[in-house]
Amino acid sequence: MTTLERPLPADDATVSPRGVIGTSVTRKEDDRLLRGDGRFTDDVEPAHLLHMAVGRCPYPHARIVRVDASRAWELDGVKHVLVGADVRAATEPLTVLRPVPGAPALPYYALAQDVATHEGQPVVSVAATSRHVAEDALELIDVEYEPLPHVVDVLAALEPDAPVLHPSVLDSNLLAANSDGSGDPDRRMLEADVVVEGRFRINRVTALPMETRAIVAEWRPGARELTVHVSTQVPHLVRKQLAETLRLTESEIRAIASDVGGGFGLKLGVFPEDVLASLHAMALRRPVKWVEDRAEHFRASTHARESVHDYRIAADASGRILAMTDVYATDIGGWNSPFGSAQLSSVVLNGPYRVEDGYAERRVTLTNKTPVGAYRGYGQPEVNFAYERLMDTLARRLDLDPVELRAQNMVKQQDLPWKNPTGAVYDSGDYERCLRMAAEAIGWSEHRDTGRVPRADGRLAGIGFSSFVERTGYASARFLARRGSQFGAHESVTLRANRSGGIDVYTGVSTMGQSAETAFAQVVSDVFGVDYEAVKVHAGDTGASPLNTGAFASRTMIAAAGALKAAAEELAAKTLRLAAARLEIDAADLQIDGSVVRRRDDEAVQVPLVEIFTTAITGQGIPPGEDPGMESTSHFEPSDAAYSFGTAAALVSVDPLTGEFGVERFVMVHDGGTVVNPTVVAGQVRGALAQGFGAALTEELRYDGDTGQLVNGSMLDYFVPTAADLPPLELLHTEVASPVTPFGIRGVGEVGTIPPGAAVANAICDALADFGVELSSLPITPEAVWRALADRAAPETPDDHLAPTPGDLPDGGVGY
Amino acid sequence: MTGPAMTAHPAAPAETELLVELTTTVNGEEVTATVPPRLHAADFLRSRLGLTGTHVGCEQGSCGMCTIVVDGEAVKSCLMLACQLDGRNVQTVESLATDDRLDPLQQAFKEAHALQCGFCTPGFLMTATALGYQGSCPSRAEIREEIAGVLCRCTGYENIVTAIENWFAGSAPVSTDGAPAAGCPVGAE
Repeated sequence: MTTLERPLPADDATVSPRGVIGTSVTRKEDDRLLRGDGRFTDDVEPAHLLHMAVGRCPYPHARIVRVDASRAWELDGVKHVLVGADVRAATEPLTVLRPVPGAPALPYYALAQDVATHEGQPVVSVAATSRHVAEDALELIDVEYEPLPHVVDVLAALEPDAPVLHPSVLDSNLLAANSDGSGDPDRRMLEADVVVEGRFRINRVTALPMETRAIVAEWRPGARELTVHVSTQVPHLVRKQLAETLRLTESEIRAIASDVGGGFGLKLGVFPEDVLASLHAMALRRPVKWVEDRAEHFRASTHARESVHDYRIAADASGRILAMTDVYATDIGGWNSPFGSAQLSSVVLNGPYRVEDGYAERRVTLTNKTPVGAYRGYGQPEVNFAYERLMDTLARRLDLDPVELRAQNMVKQQDLPWKNPTGAVYDSGDYERCLRMAAEAIGWSEHRDTGRVPRADGRLAGIGFSSFVERTGYASARFLARRGSQFGAHESVTLRANRSGGIDVYTGVSTMGQSAETAFAQVVSDVFGVDYEAVKVHAGDTGASPLNTGAFASRTMIAAAGALKAAAEELAAKTLRLAAARLEIDAADLQIDGSVVRRRDDEAVQVPLVEIFTTAITGQGIPPGEDPGMESTSHFEPSDAAYSFGTAAALVSVDPLTGEFGVERFVMVHDGGTVVNPTVVAGQVRGALAQGFGAALTEELRYDGDTGQLVNGSMLDYFVPTAADLPPLELLHTEVASPVTPFGIRGVGEVGTIPPGAAVANAICDALADFGVELSSLPITPEAVWRALADRAAPETPDDHLAPTPGDLPDGGVGY
Repeated sequence: MTGPAMTAHPAAPAETELLVELTTTVNGEEVTATVPPRLHAADFLRSRLGLTGTHVGCEQGSCGMCTIVVDGEAVKSCLMLACQLDGRNVQTVESLATDDRLDPLQQAFKEAHALQCGFCTPGFLMTATALGYQGSCPSRAEIREEIAGVLCRCTGYENIVTAIENWFAGSAPVSTDGAPAAGCPVGAE
């Protein structure tokens, strides 16, 4: 295969004077992980440790009539049992970090109260001397359930006769409807020469980090200190949520996430088991560990993506887009997850296309399934599939080249910044350039001119595109405040020099594969001038780091780079002042160079950093007017979100008799702004593409409508891509610096999840255009293609289920 | 203390669980232990021997996190009982590096950016170690097939394939019968 990494020189990029930003230094994280010396939560093994196991509701919807745990208490090794009433008495309901605007609170406790609303919801928990004994004890607990009528289909859940999940709070399963938009899209639809529309069904998938969720909780009643080692992306938010739920103060809680074995959005915030392990530990004064097993993970962590989008695009005869609308029902499962419901389908409703008239309406819908939470992409892959499928449909309808149709409608570089219909401000970029690069790389013009001639083996080739923008980071704390979010938009770091001549960096961002330790050290090294090797990043401990936000929403580097820069500049200035006094040279004539401060024009005149730092730390010999110490804490909030962008192109071949297809090439052209570490960025894009391919082609969590059971909740039945499954991926980059972030960085963590579904579906539909095949649901399987070929059925179209109601929505203002 | 005010019930009479004795060689050292028969090998290595580099991801042999080398072959240690290690020669990820130096396979992973969160990495390292013992030069496609029993959710695998390929091309994984497999070509599909 061909791998084309960064073939283009960076243009418009902020040029780094020392060259550390922008270089592929090897990672800080690697040595310990390669040696099996990482510290994942399950590796923490305090003395006198007990183990927790959780009993879960086997039904999709059931009343808990009776719980009798007496036999479990009698089992040798069982130390503690919790039932719903215990939790109700000792805790407050779990909080939601990112509530759905306009939604009433659903009081969710760590153990089910009266009624459980999904298979896998915790009902009882046991702490015992081993996990074996704890699980044996669960078998001895007698729970009597009264199964209740259930609904697992998201549109059926909105029907008037559907069983209502939370009747004390809501009279239907519509948790909230949020709309946003501008102009008069309905009128544009009437005036348009052509309107294309479709109903797009997005599959339920899950992030499936290789390390499941896990916690070790220890309580010292005399010190009033609850220490939790927890596998999370947000230690400081876990601390806050645990305090609220356990009726403790934040001072009484220390959350530590050392190494996290993948997060991808799933490990955002407190889950019921975190509360349960804490309660057991507090009752017993002994440490309690819980490591989620994979069967639990499939039913009790979070799922993602499932939604039904009714999307419409109106255009004139030349192909100019006049309006874009999306009314969609998004499944939230049985309860709010800690991170609410994916919201970015509304934010990037129109993708990279210029349109003044558009709206998105989101119907957040409850079903008797595992809660839906955040997952890499957070609404953006879903909406991209809808609008990019329709762009190809529109091109065929108007007999236009799909590349030219896209180029014609893309927001132009000179028009940026530009505000889209739902209020997102796209900051900068050259969207068309990425599209042209993708078309060139995949060989579009040759393919277009050749026509659809079957190959010797009868297979048909097709090329499909997906152009996208991706919101990275948050618009601002103001934006979040209007939406009730329980966190801000900033990052915070503490830099502290040490007497070995190095700099320690303390951050609440936990290490989960995103290479934050590496990138943070690169920024500090670059700004301060100290050697990369002399910077050590200490991550994920609330007891040691300043209060921050956390690692999600492709936001860490966008926000943290500013904090790192400010703190490093402050330390550098002080270092230069102390060195100036020491050398009796003006500070302006000095520079920090690796392990020394030296005269700019004469490197023989120098003083080691060890000496300057020691002087500052002891305070012995500092000049008059200087305070002792060499430490700086900085907080930084970017002025706005930064929008990554790009275009992907897929080349497929399809057997028109069977529907079997193969992705022969996949080109990803992406702009992540200024790149801190090219190797790491390519790794992020490639890894997210792999997850994107899984969701597009092989992954789907399926529920049986009759029983409400998850039918493929194991790794034997849920197919994430293996090394042998992925198509060759070719990565191309452009590098347009963002004006809204320090150094011009855009987020890069999530973007790869966005385009695979639409690009592959468009390629298959291109290959099968003579058969009239239009794919409108994910995942795309050979069976789905065969069915589309065999039925020749018209694809689903919007109907009254999701009739738009822009006039009478509850809030009207904040729509996502 | 604001947790539930509950006291533990008096414990039932002690259960007498059957125990079995095993003797095995782990990373070159002989280990004798007494274990419950239902303890699986991964839990034994982690909790009894403190070898926490072997990770557990699914406990049904699907994900490959717990892959170790037993008598020269890659096995999933969650599918073996500890007592089945009796008389066997076991190698875990902790055997690779010496002192402060990564071994060539680990170094190849580091240089190729073949890991992100690192949770799956020991599984890939041990799978590749066993592949090295086979004494042949695998193509990239063969490497992909060979490592398909270990899942990774971060990297998209390409850099892992490259790391293993570079390792075969460079330093010398030696087969169990002593035939060197070094100097393999790079880039063969």
